[in-house]
Amino acid sequence: MRRIGVLRRPGLVLRLAVPLLLGGGWELAVRLSGVPHWILPGPLAVGRALVEGLPVLLPALAVTLAVTLGALVVAAAGGILLALAIALSPLLEAALLPLAVTLQVIPLVAVAPVILLYVERVETALVLCAALVAFFPVLAGTLSGLERAGTAERRLFALYHASRWQELVHLRLPTALPHLLAGLRVGGTLALVGAVVAEFAAGHAGSRAGLAFRILEAGWRLDIPRMYAALVLLAASGLVLHALLRGIERAVLRRFHLAPREGS
Amino acid sequence: MAERPPAVTLGVPRLVLGGRLLFENLRLHLEAGRWTCLLGPSGVGKTTLLRLLAGLVPGGLVVTDDGRPMDGRLALMAQQDLLLPWLTVRENVLLGFRLRGQRRRRGAALVARAEDLLARVGLAGRGDDLPAALSGGMRQRVALARTLMEDRPVVLMDEPFSALDAVTRHRLQDLAAALLRDRTVLLVTHSPREALRLAHRVLVLGGRPARLREVPVPAGEPPRDPASRELLEREAVLLRELVASVTRGEEVPCASSAPS
Repeated sequence: MRRIGVLRRPGLVLRLAVPLLLGGGWELAVRLSGVPHWILPGPLAVGRALVEGLPVLLPALAVTLAVTLGALVVAAAGGILLALAIALSPLLEAALLPLAVTLQVIPLVAVAPVILLYVERVETALVLCAALVAFFPVLAGTLSGLERAGTAERRLFALYHASRWQELVHLRLPTALPHLLAGLRVGGTLALVGAVVAEFAAGHAGSRAGLAFRILEAGWRLDIPRMYAALVLLAASGLVLHALLRGIERAVLRRFHLAPREGS
Repeated sequence: MAERPPAVTLGVPRLVLGGRLLFENLRLHLEAGRWTCLLGPSGVGKTTLLRLLAGLVPGGLVVTDDGRPMDGRLALMAQQDLLLPWLTVRENVLLGFRLRGQRRRRGAALVARAEDLLARVGLAGRGDDLPAALSGGMRQRVALARTLMEDRPVVLMDEPFSALDAVTRHRLQDLAAALLRDRTVLLVTHSPREALRLAHRVLVLGGRPARLREVPVPAGEPPRDPASRELLEREAVLLRELVASVTRGEEVPCASSAPS
């Protein structure tokens, strides 16, 4: 009866079947063609490298995740505060929004060396770099959410003599919450990408090296299975981070009785 | 309601909206403690007049017969219920007090009154529900309770019943008529029957620039029986007039510039 239950949910079946099929096909192809593992390792070899490499890879992952979370906090605070400031004052919008957009359009790999040049502590520089990427979705989401409050509702607030601040706190911010959280979720995954890119740019070695450096290092040593293992670890943490942020988003929205943003 | 509702007069010297001359030397008078219904084709400026009265749009001059300003003496009920989905029914009813910072100071007394008003609109015991759990008619009743909670002598209503089914509309009209008796009320509607049922005075807004014209109402106090012969006859006459005015080209099509 259980199997029938699973078959009734083709989405779940596909979610499990597609990676299994791909992995199986990959393993089979590697074995049949006899490609050496320093060119293309099979999934089993990658798994072995992952287990064996954990003592090196896990501390590196911890460093990368610390940068990611730090960046997310900075980006969330910066993005939300800037959005609020812009929502309260059209002058600030004119002054700051072009700047924010400019920061967004410059690729991180290009800015990272400049930031690394001036910020003494590498960790701080990495957090700044990653925050730079994660900040824009939070800002854009919050801003568009703040504009969602209906004109009719705003008229009602005007009739109640609500101040701009009250309108913001009691009407526009709750209306913006689903958009803000969706922006935060996108920003969170981008923070991880930003952290890795920044680590590449920094090329920071030693005990505080992140996952990106371990990938570079494995490449120099032609330890291809470990490169793949680090990639797997990175992808897995990205998925976990995304799921975590999604869970937070749902919990917060449920607490405030709001529907999640559609199509996300 | 502590004070006697005032008579209110709105004067509009000249109002151009979206490049169109909407009003010129228009004068709208609301008798004290009576219901005035404003009829007219869509786009003619009914809602704009209401917003001028509420001070939400500049360009109107509002005078009351007791000489005191209108500010803080009016409540508004719109076509949409405008309930905030993240607040419970009770907190929605208390929204005005929350924004004025009176919610906490006078907590228990306010809650008691909100509960009483909810009971009067037939929603006893639903105070803890969220708006999403209510039907459209129930939500509009919450909006009515919120309007009553404000306890203002002047109440402006902009098609508050038009999105409801016929039975719910009928009930809510009765309820509003009973609960807002003796207040100075302006009801904007596009339904001649609703106007004839609820109003002490019916005004028709039409033409360009728009002018007001008073039409006779059936005998008796509102809410009147919608099936009475007199009301039905007057409705037929009124409807014919409205249709004729639209065919004469007085109706403004729903362009994006038209106030809605």
